[in-house]
Amino acid sequence: MTSNKIITGLAMILRMLVRQKIVIILIAIIPAFFLSVVEFTTSNRMLPFQLASVGDDVFINITEKGISFIFFAVASSGFLVSFLALNLIQKNSVVNRRLIICGYHPIQLLISILLALLLMIILIAVYVGLLTNAFYTIDHLGSFIFGLVLIGFVYGSYGLAIGSLIKGELEGILMIVLLVNIDVGWLQNPLFYAEAQNQIIIKFLPAYFPSQTAIITAITDYSSASATVYGIMYGSIFFIFSMLIFFNKMRTK
Amino acid sequence: MILRSEHIVKSFGRKKVLTDISFQLEAGTVTGIVGENGSGKSTLMEIIVGVRRAQNGTVQINGKLGYCPQRALLFPHLTVQEHFNYFSVAYGISKEPSKLRSTELLDHFNFAKYNQERIINLSGGTQQKLNLSISLLHKPDLLILDEPYNGFDWDTYQRFWDYTNHLRKQGCAVLIVTHLLSEKNRFDRIYELENGILV
Repeated sequence: MTSNKIITGLAMILRMLVRQKIVIILIAIIPAFFLSVVEFTTSNRMLPFQLASVGDDVFINITEKGISFIFFAVASSGFLVSFLALNLIQKNSVVNRRLIICGYHPIQLLISILLALLLMIILIAVYVGLLTNAFYTIDHLGSFIFGLVLIGFVYGSYGLAIGSLIKGELEGILMIVLLVNIDVGWLQNPLFYAEAQNQIIIKFLPAYFPSQTAIITAITDYSSASATVYGIMYGSIFFIFSMLIFFNKMRTK
Repeated sequence: MILRSEHIVKSFGRKKVLTDISFQLEAGTVTGIVGENGSGKSTLMEIIVGVRRAQNGTVQINGKLGYCPQRALLFPHLTVQEHFNYFSVAYGISKEPSKLRSTELLDHFNFAKYNQERIINLSGGTQQKLNLSISLLHKPDLLILDEPYNGFDWDTYQRFWDYTNHLRKQGCAVLIVTHLLSEKNRFDRIYELENGILV
């Protein structure tokens, strides 16, 4: 019975997602738009930048266009997944509560939501990874896609936390846009990072480790294991936090 | 006895909404709770069904609970039939009985033609029919209806009362919360919620 509830929940959530045209449009258009803008606006001049998670003295030479493709791939994945996570957890929370009154256990509902999110993270990561590879040849495509899954995990957990914590849709979107813009969209840009003061602050932001994983695997042969492990740990903290809030809100009295 | 609530107290900040509410419902009865807007009727229903926590008091329910909230709580991008399927799974009703039951409710409340329509395309009245039907899907022993006939036309209003009388005969305890009470003779008992007390 539990598996039936989870599978039904997952099927219904996916139906709802697919039927929201804005979701499909965002997933299809945003990465393609970002990468096209990079293609038409950035130059091919070589730029050295510091690969922080490998070592302070490790500098990589890459074209401005190349690093911008990778950076925008990470940014668009982070934004899309956090928006989706917010949408999944927040939009139908009152109706979900009715399902719980009618017999769903919060865990069954939550597993359905998380499975739907996981499928969407993988879908977005594969799509963005392949799209990026079409613009710029990625050295280790499989690992790069895994890096995008990791940013999806971290920012998906962030979206879940915001969706569980904040009631208003607009406020939730604002919180996501703010952090994605500041963190993934600005501070994790390796060109900015190389010249930044107080780099330690940037290292504590959510997108740092996933961004490093994506960059390392996209253009070098260095190991991304350390950045990946820290990324998973970071995402797990957000994840546990969001689950605690979700259970507190969904339990019947 | 299907429902027994004792000494329920609820405040929002300094405002005391429910002072000391005690009542019980017997099987096969239709009970009304009336009160002005903002008198705490919906809060009392939410405490009974477990959505809200009271500061004090106990609620005891013997049997299956059906709850129709005041606002139609539905998924905008799912169809009517998908709602029946989803909530049937929640109630633990298997496929065939669920199909029979949903057909019966669609026919009784006269909205079978909207079966494959998504909720965002339905009128408020049709959404309310589905909102009510979901609470009836599992043949509850206790049915709590919060302003159930909002948006109903006269025909649906009559169908609603036909069905309520049918439930009464079947031994279901029905509790209807409303701010308007036009036909007192339809109820077995009527309470008025005034200043946080049932009178």
